[in-house]
Amino acid sequence: MGKSKRRSATLGALPLTSMIDVVFLLLIFFIVTANFAQDEHKLPATLVTEGGGVQSNDLQPQIIQILMQGAMPIFTMGEVAVQDAKSLEALLKKLPKEPGVAIKCEPDVPISAIAAALQAARDAGFQKRSYVPSDG
Amino acid sequence: MSKKSSKSKHMIEVDLTSMIDVVFQLIIFFMFTSQFGELRRTEIDLPHQPGDETEVHHEPAMIIDLTNSGTYIVESVETSLIEIERLARAGVANQDVADPFDVLVRPDRNASAIHLDRLLLRLSNTGVQRWKLATVDGGGS
Repeated sequence: MGKSKRRSATLGALPLTSMIDVVFLLLIFFIVTANFAQDEHKLPATLVTEGGGVQSNDLQPQIIQILMQGAMPIFTMGEVAVQDAKSLEALLKKLPKEPGVAIKCEPDVPISAIAAALQAARDAGFQKRSYVPSDG
Repeated sequence: MSKKSSKSKHMIEVDLTSMIDVVFQLIIFFMFTSQFGELRRTEIDLPHQPGDETEVHHEPAMIIDLTNSGTYIVESVETSLIEIERLARAGVANQDVADPFDVLVRPDRNASAIHLDRLLLRLSNTGVQRWKLATVDGGGS
């Protein structure tokens, strides 16, 4: 009986202060370094300048021109114009994939429209996707 | 005999608490600072697109953030096009076939294409042939 009482007194004296310190520091560390950022994805493209990049014996890529109509971007391919990325993807699916596709746009087009065009080309199955920056 | 007993008593009384505290603080400091390379990306409203899932994960040689107002940021520092061109030229000069120099552009989705075009024309002058556009999930935009 006396022995048990002595052991319990010893256990009660365990210094937990430093362990609590350490546990809290680790907790703070993992909270701070946890990655709360959204996962980012990538849309790769080739960089081609006006009048360069395409050899004469290469097939000429089909060109998507992005223009602004009021506040909305529109995607044009030759005479055909579509207003959204889904319609552009449907249009691109009908075209041959071998020549690839080149994207050009007006200077005031939002970059989200360029991303939408690159995504549509990728989803339509084009392996060769290039962007032609305008020097205007 | 009594000397030995006093030595052993002295050993038992060594307090390691503060040393453990300091060691953990140092470990946390070094672990935290080693993560800064990953954390040094400016918060930007990227275009909402699913991207290319077939793209292999490869850390790009150069990451350029493009804000809505047309400011270019490299490693959290506002950088001029001239400086970007200089950095890219050095990167292209050091590239090899196995590890070509590639650039990741992280643009604000509402920024005008003119800012992207100016940047890409500069990069094209240095011999950069491939670039990637950063996107995040969240439906079409």
